[in-house]
Amino acid sequence: MDKDHKKTYIYNAIALAVLTILELGVIQLPLAKMGQIVLLLTFAVTKMALVAMIFMHLRYETKVLRRILFLPIPAAIYFAWGIMYDMSYSWLQ
Amino acid sequence: MNETIAIQDPFGKATTGKLAMWLFIIMDGLSFGGLLIGGAALRIAAPSWPNPGEILNIPLTGFNTFLLICTSFTMVMALNSIEKGNQDGLKKFLMLTMVGGIIFLGIQIYEYSHFIMGSPELTHNLAGAGFAGATNFIPSTGTYAAVFFATTCFHGLHVLSGVIYIGCILYAANLGRYTAKNTDRVEILGLYWHFVDLIWIFVFTVIYLI
Repeated sequence: MDKDHKKTYIYNAIALAVLTILELGVIQLPLAKMGQIVLLLTFAVTKMALVAMIFMHLRYETKVLRRILFLPIPAAIYFAWGIMYDMSYSWLQ
Repeated sequence: MNETIAIQDPFGKATTGKLAMWLFIIMDGLSFGGLLIGGAALRIAAPSWPNPGEILNIPLTGFNTFLLICTSFTMVMALNSIEKGNQDGLKKFLMLTMVGGIIFLGIQIYEYSHFIMGSPELTHNLAGAGFAGATNFIPSTGTYAAVFFATTCFHGLHVLSGVIYIGCILYAANLGRYTAKNTDRVEILGLYWHFVDLIWIFVFTVIYLI
């Protein structure tokens, strides 16, 4: 890994701050609730990816390590389905 | 016949300590996942849920989010400094990160105290959000309050642990234990602190904005 990434870190911090401001702006927009949720989750996932890849140096790690770290994401989706699979029935009532 | 087989380490140059921290991060991430998924399930099942900003102070927490992002930057700069052998830079940026973490906690305590002590404005906001008759906002106020306190308090404990952890590394840095060739513990601390920031980004979106 190259030793000095000061500029990358500064740009990353600025990008994160701008995305936070955009998030605060989105909730003021006259959008449908679902549209707001999609936009906010997109911003949040982008910010999380920026923190993980640049600040946590994940992009410099090996493919094996990266794949292992992303493994819990499908597990979380599976847990969510396990907890909420009956929600569609409650919406129908 | 002698044959040399080149075996590439699947984890590259990552030390055992770093791998252990990644493992902890996976497990802790799943703990937060459980809280957030549980909160989402309760929200979907609830007959009504307050809109963003009806009870919670979004501008103040937005500032707190910005502050945590700044501490992630100072933490990565601490590692960057020691990788170049700059011990003063390491100490300076660790100190800034710790101060940022303490301010974050201070703002969270201020927010909690405002909810627990109550005020005429809060009573009015609670009535508007469907909690008529409630004078303060505590975990027993309702499902929404319980989800809010469980998630933010769990994260706050992580920030508190992080501040103590930074204090320990800062103490060792003052003793001159880290050099350009010995940065592993600073990097492991950085992983933890960035994880706390990463989780807050999602908690802020799910609890405060959606």
